[in-house]
Amino acid sequence: VLPPMVKEVRPKVPECFSHLSMARRIAITQADKDVNPVVLALGQHMSTFAITDSITRLEATLLAFKKVIDSYTTPHGATFSRHFTSHVLNPQIEYLTACRPMCFSMGNAIRWLKLQISKIDIDLPDSDAKKLLCQSIDNFIHERITLADFVIVKTAADMIEDDEVVLTYTHHHLVERALLQAREAGKQFKVILVDDPYERVGIEHAKRLAAAGIPVTYASDLGALRTNLQEATLVLTAAEAMFSNGAMYARAGTSDIAALATDMGLRVVALCESINFTERVSIDSLTYNEIDPERNTDEGFRLLFDTTRDKFISVVVTELGNTSAKSVPAILRKLEEL
Amino acid sequence: MPSVTPGYAPDLEKYLKSLKGQPLEASVENLTSLLKRRQIRGSEPCAVATAHILLQVVAKSKWQDVDGLLDNVCATGRRLVEAQPKELVVANIVRRVLALIRDEAAEDRNEPSSETQSETQMTPTDPVSHQWPLPTYTKQDSAGDCISNTPAAPPPSRPGPVPSYSSVNVPKSLFHLLSASPPSDGSAMMTSPFRNSGTSTPTSKVPPYSQVHALRSEVIDGIEEIKDEISQVDDQIAALAEVQIHPGDHVLVHQPSPTVERFILRAALKRKFTVLVATEAPRKQTEGIQNAAFRKRLSGAGITVINIKNSGLTAYMSRVDKVILGARSVVANGGVVTDSGAAAIARAAKEQGNAVIVLAGMYKLSPENPFDEQSLIEWGDSSTFVSFADGPMVNGVEIRSAVTELVPPELIDTYITNLGTHSRDHLSSLIADHYKQEDAEFHLWSAIDR
Repeated sequence: VLPPMVKEVRPKVPECFSHLSMARRIAITQADKDVNPVVLALGQHMSTFAITDSITRLEATLLAFKKVIDSYTTPHGATFSRHFTSHVLNPQIEYLTACRPMCFSMGNAIRWLKLQISKIDIDLPDSDAKKLLCQSIDNFIHERITLADFVIVKTAADMIEDDEVVLTYTHHHLVERALLQAREAGKQFKVILVDDPYERVGIEHAKRLAAAGIPVTYASDLGALRTNLQEATLVLTAAEAMFSNGAMYARAGTSDIAALATDMGLRVVALCESINFTERVSIDSLTYNEIDPERNTDEGFRLLFDTTRDKFISVVVTELGNTSAKSVPAILRKLEEL
Repeated sequence: MPSVTPGYAPDLEKYLKSLKGQPLEASVENLTSLLKRRQIRGSEPCAVATAHILLQVVAKSKWQDVDGLLDNVCATGRRLVEAQPKELVVANIVRRVLALIRDEAAEDRNEPSSETQSETQMTPTDPVSHQWPLPTYTKQDSAGDCISNTPAAPPPSRPGPVPSYSSVNVPKSLFHLLSASPPSDGSAMMTSPFRNSGTSTPTSKVPPYSQVHALRSEVIDGIEEIKDEISQVDDQIAALAEVQIHPGDHVLVHQPSPTVERFILRAALKRKFTVLVATEAPRKQTEGIQNAAFRKRLSGAGITVINIKNSGLTAYMSRVDKVILGARSVVANGGVVTDSGAAAIARAAKEQGNAVIVLAGMYKLSPENPFDEQSLIEWGDSSTFVSFADGPMVNGVEIRSAVTELVPPELIDTYITNLGTHSRDHLSSLIADHYKQEDAEFHLWSAIDR
């Protein structure tokens, strides 16, 4: 039983979920003085969920870090590769993490970036080192995000056949792009869009699909999900991350749909860029999760993600090809070699 | 459907009050339109309304023999079912009353009855101002007479063994459950032997009107008992709460119905546990308030209540120990018609191996088996989240919003009714105890068939 809290500004998270992380709004004045203004702005966007999904956050972070690198000059008596990471980059990362816990792709990319920085020759002049780093960040964004999305969207769009009925959950940009691209390719199919009643991001999504000429059925929540799935032939979802045991980390509710769809013999397709793959393992949804900062008390509580076990995923579409969820660790090993 | 403003719009309470001074036909007509307009909605109000109107049918309608009474009850029942086919409890109550009448009739068949005589003697009785012939045997009729004059009022004094059975309120089924006696018991059976012995000894040929009269009062008593049963269901189910909820449990409830709230509150008297309440995104303003009262009472009892604002609940299942669902009705194969969203929760619970417990009064158990799951889904209105001004959404998108859905039987572990805790396999014997096979499809008969 919680004692009555009078003074406390932020009401307490229910005890059984207190191990989970949560985004926080940090006043700009409270941030470390070393934090770059671009990163400050980005942190605000993340903590207010103006930027939500993993890939958009990753891209914005990398672009902000480019600005940080640009504005950096190595102080006298230090070298770029030794000084930059610990004195400049780390405060930025700490601030971003404080605003909202890092997503797995950000963790992967930051590890990669630090490796690149450490590899820089200590004799290389500042300007060249900065140019080199920015160049590799651009390449990274191009390869791991832009091209990856392009390939995934194309693969997913090709999966949609004529007369298909695609069921999808709320909104993800990869799914939306795949559906629109399939429509552009002249495919005749229908979409059943199941929305999250607490965050109706699906309404705008449904409108955009309908505007493109796709017949859309909008289901307001997971009610009568079985009936909706009975009409569907394919379930298209997008992952926030993939764990190395093949489990998918995605918006809360995805797992419910995937499980029921598998019961009913439907294909469940998960779209995910390989940068979102993590070597961590999660078998339940409370190992890694995030609490909605707007709803984090007994009066209203909301988790943002859930974990879908590999047995409920038929295929994972990545830029490296279509694989089963079981082969996530194999892909991770391959990525290490690259 | 816009939410009903209390005070002006008709509801169950107002309807029951209106019954007294109204002719039967008007009452039936009134109820069908209330059901159609969803002004009486939810299984308990529907069941109560049905029991009341059938009591009126028995008391006021014209009938000369058992078949006539069965026809009248069927005809009214059929109209109610047609008015609101998705409320399965309406048909359940009708079947219960039909079974009651059949039991009475079976008892009366011991005596020779002459149909022709009854027809001539029982001239059409005015449904409003009726005076039954004076009783030949006093005890039974004092109750029966009273009921036929003021039909909605409970009998002031019940004859013979009835009061003792009313305390356990479903004599028939309870008797079946508790004692393994042959199925020839029940309130009707228990009371009638006295009457039979009383009537058959003095005259070998019973005056038919008194027979009709006796049947009438017996059936009315039976319906009163069904009404009592409905009113006591929540309490009796709650009595089983302590067995199910253990200290330290995390119990998940979905849109708690009054039955579920009562159950949880009862457990809260003895146990310390955590309740996770999965609320559906508010469709009506009233829903939030109801939950708030429930939460306040639980917090007062020292129970932690967490209001979950997620639609899919897989994320919580590794923490949850058991899921408790309230039912709108239970179909014969064990499927549960309940608030939409429950099926996804039950599926998630199954995945994690958590128990799914369904609370439902006996009167919600329907002998029907849906051949088409979709026929049980009730679709609601979408105006709370899509405005009619939103052209692209209204024109280009088909919008669905389910209010009820069917939870498949394989996802449910235990059923708790006012008669106890049951497994799915036991439901069929409960159905057999409460309903007669021949009434299973009464609502499909047309009037000509009979």
